[in-house]
Amino acid sequence: MKYELVAGFETHVELATNTKIFCSCTTEFGGEPNTHCCPICIGLPGTLPKLNKKVVEYAIRAGLATNCEIAEISKMDRKNYCYPDLPKAYQISQYDKPLCEHGYIQLSNGRKIRILRIHIEEDAGKLVHRRGDTLVDYNRGGVPLIEIVTEPDFRSVDEAKEYVEKLQLIMRYIGVSDCRMQEGSMRCDVNISVRPEGSEKLGTRTEIKNMNSITFIAKAMEYEYGRQVDLIESGEKVVQETLRYDDVTNTTSSMRGKEDANDYRYFRDPDLVTINVPREKVEQIKEELPELPEEKKNRYIDELGLPEADASLLTKYRKIAEYYEKASEGTKNPKTAANFIIGQIFRSVETESEKEEFNVSVSAENLNELIILLDSGKIRMNLAKSTLDKMLETGKKASELIDESDMGGLDENTLLDLCKQAVENNPKAVSDYLGGKEKAVKAMVGFVMKNSRGKADAALAEQKIIDMIKNT
Amino acid sequence: MVTKDEIMKIAILSKLSVGEDEIDKLTEDMGEIISFAYTINKAADIESDFDNINNLSNVLREDEVVPSMEREQILKNAKDSDDGCFMVKNIMK
Repeated sequence: MKYELVAGFETHVELATNTKIFCSCTTEFGGEPNTHCCPICIGLPGTLPKLNKKVVEYAIRAGLATNCEIAEISKMDRKNYCYPDLPKAYQISQYDKPLCEHGYIQLSNGRKIRILRIHIEEDAGKLVHRRGDTLVDYNRGGVPLIEIVTEPDFRSVDEAKEYVEKLQLIMRYIGVSDCRMQEGSMRCDVNISVRPEGSEKLGTRTEIKNMNSITFIAKAMEYEYGRQVDLIESGEKVVQETLRYDDVTNTTSSMRGKEDANDYRYFRDPDLVTINVPREKVEQIKEELPELPEEKKNRYIDELGLPEADASLLTKYRKIAEYYEKASEGTKNPKTAANFIIGQIFRSVETESEKEEFNVSVSAENLNELIILLDSGKIRMNLAKSTLDKMLETGKKASELIDESDMGGLDENTLLDLCKQAVENNPKAVSDYLGGKEKAVKAMVGFVMKNSRGKADAALAEQKIIDMIKNT
Repeated sequence: MVTKDEIMKIAILSKLSVGEDEIDKLTEDMGEIISFAYTINKAADIESDFDNINNLSNVLREDEVVPSMEREQILKNAKDSDDGCFMVKNIMK
C-alpha cells in the first residue's frame, strides 16, 4: 500500500527587538550567563511585566506578510508548566486570542499552506546539563518570540523545505528576525502522521521538537515517515508522543519528562492588560511593509525580463536585491547588472551570513558606473569583466582602473591586423580548427586579447578569425 | 463535581505530594471552592473576559535597553549557583 505523509509546522521565530518582551534587558545573543537579566525576567515575586510595543508591531508585520487577519482585541495568557528553564513556572503566551490568524503561504507548486495563527510569547532560559546537576542561564529567558502555526497541509518533505525557506526569507525581508537557525533564532517543531493514499482520515501524529536546520528537518521527516509506515505495515500502532531528532544517528527518540500530563492550565495573565489593535495602525503597518520576496521575484521576471533562476538568486537575500536595484539603475539592460553580480560578484560571498550582509568590495554605485561605461560603448564587455575583477580585488572605482586610452575599444583595422597575426602565428591551431576542433579558435582569440591588452571585443575577434581561416 | 483523580492530577502538576489521608478532605474543599466560583459566575453580568478593573488597554513600553542587574545580585537568592549560573538538581534522568 502507498502512504501519504501529512505534516504541520510550529515555528518559533525570535524577534529582532532591542529589548525583551516584558522588561528592558537586552536581547543580544551570547554574553556571560545571567548578565542580561533583571527581577522581571528571572521571575521574582512582586515584579510586573510590561509589554514591548515593538513586539506587537513586529508580530503584526509578520501576520500581514503571511496574509493573516489581525485581531482587533488580543490578550496574554499564562501557560503553566514546571521546568527550570522557566523561572515563573509559567510562560506568558497567547491562548485563544492570538494577534494573527488565518493566513497562508503559497508554494511553487501552487498549493497554499494555511497558517492557523501567529502569537507572541517569551522564550525560556538555557539549560546546561552536567553530571549530577543542571546549570541555568536566563539570558534568553524573556526574549520575544512569535510562534507560527500551520494547518497539517504539508504532503511532502520538499513542501516542508520550501515552506521553511520561504518563511525565513519573508521574516528577514520584513526585518522582524534574522532567522539564524544555527543560533536558534528560528526553530521548528513538526507534527507528522501518515495515512493510506486516498484516505481522508488523519493518522495518529507524533511531534518532532526543536529542529534548527533545514537539512535536519528533511532528514527527520523522512525517517519518521518511514518509521510510522513500518509500524503500520507490521500491524502495530503509532503512539502519539513527542520526539527528539538525533542528527548523529539520524533517528528519532521519545522525549518524556517535560510535562507528564500535558495540561497547561492556560488562563489570562492578570498582570497584563488587553491589547487593542486599531485598524488605522494595521493599515499603517501594511503600507510600511517592503516589497515581499515573491512579489519582487515576479517583478524581476515580468517587468525586467530576468530568467527565473537569476530572479531567484537576486531576491533570496534582501541586501542583494537592494544592491542589484542600485547597480542596475539607469542602465540599458537589467540583465547586465544581474550577470555581473551572479557571474562575478557572487564569487566573493560564500557563507549564509556573508550573503545576508552582502558587504562586497565593489559598491553598487561603482558597479553602476562600470555598466554605464559599458552601455555608452566606451568599453567592451571583456574589458568590463576584467575591470570588475580588478575592482573586486582592489575596491577601486572603474574610472580609476581604466585609462582614457583603453576606452573606445579597438578600431576595426587594428582588430583585423591582430586577427591576421593570430592566424599566422598559430598554424597548429588553424589546422586543428580545420580538422574539426572548434575550440582551437580560442587560442587565437586569446592571442588577440593579449596583444590588445584586453581591449578587443572577443566575440568579434572570434568571428573575424573564423572568417579568415575559412577564406584562405 | 471534583473527582479524586482530578485532585491527584492537579497535585502532580503542581509538584505537591499529597498523602492518601489528605485526598478526601482536599476533594471536598476543592469542590466547595469551585461551587463558590460558580455562584460568582451567576451573580456577575460579565460582558467579556477582556474587561479589567480600570478598563486599561495597550500599556506598552518603548523598545529601549536599560542596563541589566549585576549578576551577583541576580544570583543572590539562588539556592545554589556555579559558573555564573543558577544550579538545580539534575533534571535529565
